[in-house]
Amino acid sequence: MKIPFRVVFRNLVRHPVRSLFTAGSMTVAVFLMVFLRTVVASLDAGVDQSQSNRLIVQSAVSLFVNLPSTYGTKIESVPGVVETNKWVWFGAYYQDPSNFFAQFAVDEETLLDVYPEIEVVDGSHEEFLAQKTNCLVGKGLADQFGWKVGDTVPLISQVFPKTDGGAWEFTIAGLYEPSRATVDARTLFFHFDYLDETLEAGGAMGQRGTSTYTLYLEPGANPTQVMAEVDALYENGPQRVQTTTESEFNRQFVTMYGNVPMFVNSIGGGVLLAVLLACVNSMLMAARQQTRDVGVMKAMGFSDTVMAGTMLSQSLIICVLGGVVGIFLAVGLVQAMGPMMGSFLPGFGVHEGALGFGLVLSVGVGLLAGLLPALRSNRLRPVEALRSLE
Amino acid sequence: MSDELIQAVSVTRQYTRGGETLRVLDELDFSVARGAFTALMGPSGSGKTTLLNLIGGLDRPDGGQVLVDGVDIGQLSDADLARWRADNIGFVFQGFNLIPVLSALENVMLPLLLAPVSRKERSERAAYALELVGLADRTKHRPSQLSGGQEQRVAIARALVTDPAVLLADEPTGDLDRESADNVMELLRRLNSELQKTILMVTHDPQAARSAQTIAHLDKGRLGRLEKVEAEAGAAP
Repeated sequence: MKIPFRVVFRNLVRHPVRSLFTAGSMTVAVFLMVFLRTVVASLDAGVDQSQSNRLIVQSAVSLFVNLPSTYGTKIESVPGVVETNKWVWFGAYYQDPSNFFAQFAVDEETLLDVYPEIEVVDGSHEEFLAQKTNCLVGKGLADQFGWKVGDTVPLISQVFPKTDGGAWEFTIAGLYEPSRATVDARTLFFHFDYLDETLEAGGAMGQRGTSTYTLYLEPGANPTQVMAEVDALYENGPQRVQTTTESEFNRQFVTMYGNVPMFVNSIGGGVLLAVLLACVNSMLMAARQQTRDVGVMKAMGFSDTVMAGTMLSQSLIICVLGGVVGIFLAVGLVQAMGPMMGSFLPGFGVHEGALGFGLVLSVGVGLLAGLLPALRSNRLRPVEALRSLE
Repeated sequence: MSDELIQAVSVTRQYTRGGETLRVLDELDFSVARGAFTALMGPSGSGKTTLLNLIGGLDRPDGGQVLVDGVDIGQLSDADLARWRADNIGFVFQGFNLIPVLSALENVMLPLLLAPVSRKERSERAAYALELVGLADRTKHRPSQLSGGQEQRVAIARALVTDPAVLLADEPTGDLDRESADNVMELLRRLNSELQKTILMVTHDPQAARSAQTIAHLDKGRLGRLEKVEAEAGAAP
């Protein structure tokens, strides 16, 4: 089948405004879909890459109710548990409330044992342990604010405000890069004791305790059994706990935003349908205007299949061109938003699956939009086409 | 090789419109000799264009046979019929029907896409065809930048470029002024006499019909009289 591509391309610029608008609508739709799919993929990445040998213990009441920091010792005695690590949400900002990112008070000594994906790339874990005010900072966060090892970072916590109204001060002892999406590259980790002792001494206000415990299981341990045993420890108080797998915890965390995938699919589906109808309409108009040309070319000897292919090619080219521009725009936006979104969505970034989805979408809409005009061109009898007044 | 290049044998073509069947061609017998230039005349609705479309393989008869160079084209599949048209027929239409988005040269090159020739050869052959019709200096012009007469000459170049055995022209001067019409008819006469193209032309214009060697009169789907045209002084033989 020899498609006359010169005719195809010239027809695309025959009505440049219409072509531009059709491609533009595809650009908007694909941009939106790729961006939204990136958000969903980022949410899923945290869940998908969760470690099966890690469990999370939180208050059975709510994630926002702290557990006593003494629970750790008893939990560690449960068979199968190798290490525990306390995490406390610190809720602070740097200089300005808009400079918000995640900070956690953690058990500094076991952090890298429980989270081996945290790789210190500058400074060292030992330096981190040396001083209570030391912290480990994600390289992405350090790059964002121009921090380096040895710098002092003042933070204003909204969860644990200092009683003197001042800032908490941390010294950067190391920079890390995560090897998995389970940990964000824009987080600050500091010593649990620094927080707890300051609270105990009345240097800051806030609820003592720990937001969650992360349990690191030994190889071969049965997570279901460990979860049941940990929950049973505090079945009668003083405060009941809820133990889940890391992936389930992440999934619950994601659902706090609502049913994001359904939300995304509903919006995207609606936009896509509207764009598909617009493209079909546009291509049908183009096909009507080319009716006589189709008749002339069929009279010359171009086959029904070639004429259908000519029409389908126009639709495909216009939709794929528009879609590719949409993909580039989405990639640009994702990269620009990466520093801002990383704290909320670890692993937020360009996902190949989302890009592939955008491309498949462009081709799919191109094929669907060109189908009716192509069938029309295929079936058109030359005699009828030549009589056309278009 | 038969002397009759085109033969319509007992050809019937009918249409149904509004529940009424209209027999446009009624068991028509008609033939055109190889190398002849024949004009088809007759009142509107007499079946001239329908006959031309059947001979060109754009339509199929309801009854009878259409033979072109011995091939019963009614028996060909749609794909084979398209291929056959590309190899054997050149069409010239009343409304010129050039592809508006292509230049004159590109319009003439278009049918050669179906022939096994290189792009360079396509371009050379199209340029030669345009030179033949006197438009060597208009190759890059779009149809909208040409006069009606020039458009029709581009259309003739396009019909010629594949070197078909038969040229079918449907009212080729219908949209032209007298001078342009005379130029087009002169061109068709030359193609017939110098390149031995077999030409079948539908026309309402008696003066244009006088360019042909034979005028066949159709009436109510049947062949009426055949009129031999005497060569005019100064006209090509």
